[in-house]
Amino acid sequence: MQKQQEFVELMKENEGVIFKVTLVYAFNEEDQKDLYQEIVYQLWKSYDSFRGDAKISTWMYRIALNTAITILKKEKRKGNKIPIDDSLLSRIDQIDTLIDDRLKILYSHIKNLNTIEKGIILLYLEGKSYDEIAAITGFSTTNVGTRLNRIKSKLKSQIKK
Amino acid sequence: MELEELRKDWQEMSKEIEKQKILTDKLIINMTQRKYKNKLKLISIPEFIGTVICFAGAIYILLNFFKLDTWYMQLSGIFTALFCIVLPILSLKSIFGMQKIDLSKSNYKQSLERFAKNKKQFVIIQKASFYLSFILVIVSLPVAAKLMNGKDLFLESKVWLWYVPFGFLFLYIFSKWVFKKYKNVTNSAEDLLKDIEISS
Repeated sequence: MQKQQEFVELMKENEGVIFKVTLVYAFNEEDQKDLYQEIVYQLWKSYDSFRGDAKISTWMYRIALNTAITILKKEKRKGNKIPIDDSLLSRIDQIDTLIDDRLKILYSHIKNLNTIEKGIILLYLEGKSYDEIAAITGFSTTNVGTRLNRIKSKLKSQIKK
Repeated sequence: MELEELRKDWQEMSKEIEKQKILTDKLIINMTQRKYKNKLKLISIPEFIGTVICFAGAIYILLNFFKLDTWYMQLSGIFTALFCIVLPILSLKSIFGMQKIDLSKSNYKQSLERFAKNKKQFVIIQKASFYLSFILVIVSLPVAAKLMNGKDLFLESKVWLWYVPFGFLFLYIFSKWVFKKYKNVTNSAEDLLKDIEISS
């Protein structure tokens, strides 16, 4: 019970992190909600493995990004769905008013990047250092730098158009 | 507009997002116990029903195998039974394999590699299934007729006059469509793997 309560507190403290990952990877609001739930489930599943680790953000981003690419890319299944809670969806509307036009443009361009680039730019925007991005993604620090330069010029040219 | 500026804007937005507390204890606990219907859940009812039907068919053929009294009927029976056993097992194996993956054990790069390789493997299985299904359509009908009515369709019926040409036409049209569809999937998986290798 104590473990569960600790986890609940951790999720409440970091709910924004998960939300931003879903914002970048999901194709629509429904996917976003499903992905959010799946990330929380995967975090809970691997919570024991985190408890020994020092850096919580590395663990969270790693699981969230892995879940996004593993789960969302799978063949989508149809079927009846019962929404867990509409509050997750209403949050999207609230966020929409928060994002100014520049961020909206950036979001639309991030969605056009390939999967590798999406993950790296998200971590960069989140304020992660090259070393942290390397630790989360598994690419070397130098490669992260090279990739980020490429992504920056790609985004710049896209935004200018 | 510089990316550094956007990074600052992003972090401003993040602060606002952090302020909003939407999740409740109950909601989080429900998510951890998967007390929800999620379209991304890995097992679906149709897959289980399909597997049960396939296994039932295979058992029926094997139990009545003695009724297949010619070499070609026996060959058709063996193919149909094997198809009904092997394909559902492969399908379930890949589904359970996906469920077993511990996402905390791999980083983003490893997950992408695994995903791209799985995708290529999936396409190979889909292509193989497509051709095998076609053969199944051809051989399962005589097997069913023999087991249920004792009739040898190969000898007693003119059904082949339209069944086989129609089947080949079907195969020709659908294989074109299938290969076009899967070519894109395979190409994107290969591009992703190349991209990962370049940056390694």
